[in-house]
Parts: sequence; C-alpha cells; structure tokens
Amino acid sequence: MEKVDIVTPVEKAVKLLSKLGLDFFDVYAAYSRGLNIEILGKGIKESMSRTDLGLGVRAYKNKGLGVAFSQSLKAEDIETTVNRAATFASVAQPDPYFKGMPGPSKTAKVKGLCDPEVAALTLEEVGGCAKSMIKAVETVRRGAMYQGGLGAGHSMGFLITSMGVSVEAEKTSVSASVGPTYRRGDDVGSSYEYDYGITLKEIDFEKIGRQAAEKAIEQFGSKQVESGTLPIILTPDSSSSFIFALLGAISGEAVAKGRTFASGCLGKQVAPSVLSVVDDGTIPGAIASGAFDGEGVPRRRVEVIGKGTVKTFLHNYYSAGILGAETTGHAVRGGYGGYVGAGPTNVQVKQGDSTLDEMVAETKLGILATNMGFTPNDVSGELSTTIDEGFLIQNGEKKHPVKNLMVGGHMLELFRDIELVSKEGRTVGKGFFFPNVKLKQIKLAGK
Amino acid sequence: MLIKHFTKPIIKSFWGNERFFIPLSCNFCTVNGGLRDLLVSVAQKGASAGAGFCEARLFEEKTKYISIENGVAKSMSSGILHGVGVRVIIKGKWGFASTNVTTKPSVERALKDAVGGAKSIAAQKGEEAKIVDQKAVVDTVVHKPKINPDDVDEEEKMKRMLEIEKVARAYSERVKDTFVSYREVLTKVVIANSFGTVVEETTPRTVVYCSVISKEGTNMQTGFKAAGNVAGYELVEGIQPKEFSVKAAETAVKLLDASPPPRGTYTVVVDPDVGGLFVHEAFGHNSEGDLVFGGQSIISGKMGQKVASDLVSVWDDPTVQKNGHFVYDHEGTKAEPHRIVDKGTLVGYLHSLESAAKLGGKPQGSARAQNQHFQPIIRMSNTFFAAGDMSLEEVLEDVKVGVFLSGSQYGYVETQKGQFTCKAEQGWLIENGELTEHLRDVAINGLTLDALRNVTAVGKELRIEMPGMCGKGGQGMYVDAGSPHMRFEGVVVGGRR
Repeated sequence: MEKVDIVTPVEKAVKLLSKLGLDFFDVYAAYSRGLNIEILGKGIKESMSRTDLGLGVRAYKNKGLGVAFSQSLKAEDIETTVNRAATFASVAQPDPYFKGMPGPSKTAKVKGLCDPEVAALTLEEVGGCAKSMIKAVETVRRGAMYQGGLGAGHSMGFLITSMGVSVEAEKTSVSASVGPTYRRGDDVGSSYEYDYGITLKEIDFEKIGRQAAEKAIEQFGSKQVESGTLPIILTPDSSSSFIFALLGAISGEAVAKGRTFASGCLGKQVAPSVLSVVDDGTIPGAIASGAFDGEGVPRRRVEVIGKGTVKTFLHNYYSAGILGAETTGHAVRGGYGGYVGAGPTNVQVKQGDSTLDEMVAETKLGILATNMGFTPNDVSGELSTTIDEGFLIQNGEKKHPVKNLMVGGHMLELFRDIELVSKEGRTVGKGFFFPNVKLKQIKLAGK
Repeated sequence: MLIKHFTKPIIKSFWGNERFFIPLSCNFCTVNGGLRDLLVSVAQKGASAGAGFCEARLFEEKTKYISIENGVAKSMSSGILHGVGVRVIIKGKWGFASTNVTTKPSVERALKDAVGGAKSIAAQKGEEAKIVDQKAVVDTVVHKPKINPDDVDEEEKMKRMLEIEKVARAYSERVKDTFVSYREVLTKVVIANSFGTVVEETTPRTVVYCSVISKEGTNMQTGFKAAGNVAGYELVEGIQPKEFSVKAAETAVKLLDASPPPRGTYTVVVDPDVGGLFVHEAFGHNSEGDLVFGGQSIISGKMGQKVASDLVSVWDDPTVQKNGHFVYDHEGTKAEPHRIVDKGTLVGYLHSLESAAKLGGKPQGSARAQNQHFQPIIRMSNTFFAAGDMSLEEVLEDVKVGVFLSGSQYGYVETQKGQFTCKAEQGWLIENGELTEHLRDVAINGLTLDALRNVTAVGKELRIEMPGMCGKGGQGMYVDAGSPHMRFEGVVVGGRR
C-alpha cells in the first residue's frame, strides 16, 4: 500500500495556529487504506477498497473549545479548517473543567504493531482468506447462507500539540468473521465466529469457519424456559461484554462528572476478590496497543480492578483534571474528527481456579450464556437484555439452546454475584483475555 | 484500533444517546460542472472497461455542532466530508472503491481499484451480482429550508440552545445534569451511472437533542427528547421548551420514584415511540431485500402469506417529510411509498437494484450509503404501523394485568432468527385497563412473527416522531419511525422483580 505525507499538512496547520493567540491547540491527521471482502447469502459478494484521509484541529481560547476538520489536505482547506476552529474557540464559553493539555513525555516503542505483509495485501489475497473460511464451514455442513466479512487495514496518524507533543504511529489490522445460518423447516441454526489481529499469520481462517458451523448447528431446537432466578455462566464472548460494561462506566468524562452508575466506585469493592482486571496498552503485537494514547501520553499497564476493588478510573487529561488525578494514558481519539474520549485498551481478566467443565458440572439448574451483550443503562446501572445464544444447564449437563430469554438486574449487583472465574478463556488479538465467569444468580424472564 | 465489544454483529439503532456520538463536523464545496462531468465520464469508462454496471457517487456533507452542558456552551465544531465512491459489476461480482480526493486521477484510480477488486474475486463461488435495468433519469433536487441555518449567526444558535437547556435545569432540584446539542447538516449526493442516470440531491437536516440526569441519593435516572427532520433552522424556532427539554427533565425526575418492572410474559401495550421502535427493529429489518436474498430474514419466501394479525399493516415511506425523507435513493431510484404488510399479509420487500433483480420486485428507492466510503445498501426510511380505529382507552380496557411501554431507547434484532429486543424509556403497570405503577428500565423481547400474530388492538392516532440513526453493516443512516398505540399478547418483559 502506498504511503502519503501527513506530516507536512500537520506542520502547516500548527504554524498557522501558532499565530492566532490561542491558549492551547492540537492538530491530528490520519491516513488509512482498507481492503474488505463482504460475505452475504451464498458466499463472497463484494470487494471493497477504501482510502481515507483527513485532518482535525482542536483549539482552546479562554477554556472555550473550537473543533474543525477537513477531508481535504490542500493548503487552502487547511487554512479554512484552522480559522474555523479558532473562531469557534473564541465564541464558545469557558469550560470550568478544562485544565489544559498534556505536555511531552518520553515514550517507549511498542513492537509488532505493523505487519508489512498486511500492508502489502491485495484484494485477491484477502478474497482467498475469505474463501478458506467459507470452505471450512462447508466441510462441517453444506447448505448455509452467510453473512460476514474479512478486512485488512493499514493506518497512519500524526499528532502535534501546542504543549510540544509530536508523535506518530503506524498500524495494521486484520479482522475476520463468518455467520452461517442453516434452516430445517422453521427451525434455525445460526451463530458466528470471528478473530482480530495485527498480522495475517495469527488468524486461523479455517478454524473460524469450522467453529462457526459447529456453533450454528448447536443452535437447532432452541426452546423457551421458565422465568426464574438461576445461576448463569458467561463464556468469554459474553464475559467480555460484561467486563466492558463496567469499564465503560469507569472511563473518562462521564464517570468523572458523576454520570455513571459506577461514579462512586473508586477504591470500593465491587466484586469478590476472585476478580482482577488489568488494562495494558503496551503489549507487543496486540491489537489495542500503542506507544501513546490519543493525546500523546504514553500507554501503560494499569490494574483497574484488584481483588474486586476498583483501583483506578480510566482517564484522559480532561477527565483526570476534573477529579484532580493524573491521566492514565487512556485518551481515545475517534479519528481526525477532533473528538477525544477515554476508554480501555487491551483488557485482561486474571485467570481463576475453576474450569468451564467444573462450573457446568456443579450447576443443578442454570444458564450457559455463550453470546449476550450487556447493555445497561449507563446512568442507573439497570440491565434488561436478551441472551442471544445460550443453553439450559440441568443436573450438571448442557441441554438444549434457549430462546426468548431475557435477563434483568443491576450491574453492580451482578458484579457482586460473581462466584467463579475459570483458568481457561479466550485470547483475542494477543491483547484481550476473557475467562468463563459464573454468577451466583440472575433474574430471568422467559415463559 | 480499539475493539470494544466482541459481540455478535447485530443490527442496532439508537434513538437517544446523542451525547455519546462523535460530533461530525465540516466548509462546503459546490459541485461544479467539472466534477459532475467527471462522475459521468467515470461511469461511462467503467462500462467500456467491461463492467456490466458502473456507478460513480459523490458525497459532500458539512456539519455544525454546538453542545451545551449545565449552562455552558463549551464547544462548537464544524467540518467537511467529501469524496467519491465507485461501484462496478464485473463477471458477476461487485467491486467498490472510494477516495476522499476528488481529482480526476484519484477518481479514475478508484475506478481501476473497483474493477481490479471485482476481477480478483470473480473466480470465487458465492453470491452473484446482478441488477435490474433502469431507465436513465436526469434530475436535480434541492430541499430548501424555510430558514437557512447559514443566515443565523452562531451566537444566536448558541443563545437559543442555552435557553432550551436552562428550563430543563430549572425544572427541579433533583435535576443533576443537563445536556443540549444542536446539529445542522447539509448533504449533497450526486449519482452518475452507466444507465445514463445523473441525479443530484441536496438535503438540509437539523437535529436538537436534550438529555437530563436526575439524582436522589445513589439513584440516578435519565430522560431525553429529540427533534430532527429534513429542515433548516425553522425546526429550532418551532421547539417549545415546555414540550421539549422540560419533558425530558420531567421524565428523568419522575423515574426516580418509579419501580423496576415485573418479569415474565404479559399483555403489552406500546405507545407510538415503542411501536415505532418495534416496527423498525423487529419487522422492518426483516423486510430488507438484501437480508431476504441473503437468507438472513425470517420472512424470506413468505411473500403473499399471512405474517401478522389482520389488524397489522406496515409501510416504509421516504416521501413523508420526516427524518428519513429523500426524493432519490443513492442508486438514483426515485423514492415511492413501500407497502410491506397489508392487513396481515406480506406484500412487499424493500429493494435495491440488486434485490429487485434477485427477488423479482420493483425498486422503489431503498438503497442508501452513509458516505463515499460505503456502498449503497438497503435501508428503511420512515417506517410505521398504519393506524387502526381504537382510542387508547379501548386499546387498554380489556387488559387485566399488563405492561404499558413508553418512549424508545434502543432496539436490536437478529433477523435470521427473528429475535428482537426493544428497550423503552419508561413504563406503567396496567391493571384492569388503568395505568397504575410507574416502571423504569423496561425491555421486551420476542420472536417477531409470534408478536405480530398476537396484535389484538391498534389505535387510531399514528405518530411518527422518532428521528434517529439506524446502524447496519457498519453504516449509520437517518431514519424515522412511528405507530399508533398497539396491543400485543404474550410478550416477554424483562425486569428485576
């Protein structure tokens, strides 16, 4: 893939901004090129190639923020973008929480974030990977209709701030997913499997296809179950969402301003001591790694939950300033649009002592949730959601798949009800690790 | 790259949460004759390079955004999106490529990439690309706002948003946090294809959003209101804060005293917002032709069959002046009202040129793309249940014990299984036809066709007032939805009790 110059436009914008009497500013430009294969219906449907380029400016005057961006890096468009951001900054009112922007820090390199093989991929090669994934599905069972896709991306970003930060990053990514749907009369067997990585080598396309087919077939014969209050075992594709729901509620401006259900949880025990969670944005070759965050602050390893206690919130410079804390290097920049939030990087849940087999064997009556999204009301913490894929457990054995089954509860109650964490789990993109997690009880709404 | 949730790819729509949207921002370029000619020449070049179909689409969008938080207009933003997407069919496969650089060499390079991409997968088995032939259409549509936002200065807009926010904050001492945002968007799409079609449409949109957080001890609740339409600044002038931000504050404060819902299977009555959420999520996505031919819909192969109670009729109508309004879709097809279900019988799918060819229908304008970087896919516009003939009292009167749901938060659907989830803003217990206990955090779940067969009452007042963004295939799109009051028997209600 070609390389483009994003440094010169950023430097030009910085030069212009320096003359406008602003208090703070930053300029970020990004370039990305992505190759995608779409899978739908009978298999491979479409090839896509996207080239995206843009530059965004954040400007502060008297604590008022002006933001502008452009997808054109022509000299005249950069000048217009700079002037708009500066004008808006002078119109906006002072934000009492704004404490400035971070200065430069010494940043250690994180290795293995750019794979030249991925950067040089052709659509034909990406299509070949998609083909091997579908072929693996058909080896298990033919006759599926599909949805899914395969993507290979190469991106570059460059940031300069008025505080002297000047950092650049280059990264590659590969993503693959396939969801086969089989039908037997009105009965549906449908599921999906996925993986993500920095390099092509770490993705096993055949395994993705095989597992997707096996999981889909397992979903035939789903039945409704009775309402009740039962133990639930979350496999990694469900426990990841469970953990993210809490991490989202302890990240950034929302938690610092007291707008989430977890705002009062800093230093408090929110789960039994079996739960520990680390966030580490410095793991070599991991998908959510980087030498620095969206504001140029070095990434680091942070113990977020230690033996059930919330050890830190995840901050950018702004949210840390609200609480008089230090940034934790978790600023997330949503492209060149100018918005900077905060959130987790590579999340790793500490392994426990149990195993999935033991968890199931010890459950007389319960639910095995193999795929569900925890989408609580972030303000109140109340949860009312559907188990997308799951099974009834009876007398220590996995029985039939369930349908039409909802769970309800408060997120903090559910965390308090964690009973067991397994030794084994799922690693994604060399950075994320989620084990199986058993909760003592959850309220189920069914028949 | 941050991957937040490793959950199943689902179709999900947000009808709130504007607060957490990344503000788009933007200057605007006028499409000059040269650029239009470039699109036409690329569409023709594609055809002469062996493409059975070639389309070049220009997308330009400028946005301004103001956010108010607790009495402070703390940020203003602006920006431009612009670029070209090129799509071809070669040897039975689609190829698509996009660029932000709208120069001749760059757009021609996109054509080359699209052609090369389609050829590279032509030998792969899979879904064959084909479309219905279309007659050439040449047209230019400009939706003119009554008040052009460019004629109102930024300080005036800010002042007005501060007024809207202030009344919400003053509503109660229990209001902890207020947020109001204003967004104006001007979008221009130009489509040129190898049929000879050249269509240009310019659309202004204005969206105002208000969310309020209330607090009592550790109990925190939210309420929100949104107004959005194909309109200019007249939308803002029409907002009455008492009916808007004050309502959001009232909901948030009253929810502090509401109870979690009971759980189990109940008779459920939904208001026009939750009915709109249901018709969009649970049924509308299943009627999208790409999901039908792709084997991902539960109504695939059910054309002409009963899929709902006789009381149910469903429409998707882009010609209605609501948030999902347009005149031409992004394949250059003129939009018409689409009747999907007529008195319980499936009578239509939503079509693109491709799904019409594969399923034997007529394209009526349902293919849209978020921007230049995406290919047009089938999207709903303004989707609604048609009105019946009952008053709300009549809808409620036979219900001994049930749940009334009001205000939509979000919904999602697994179309291949037909399993839906709809989350409401609030609810009430229904006892002997009367609304009694106030409920919070209520969600319903079910199988779409079971729910539709169990509709036993439909109200007479249709309301379409749910301006929102629908997510599908990684693309966000402006939509609206609505419904009269509807009664469903035997729906699962999730809750903590």
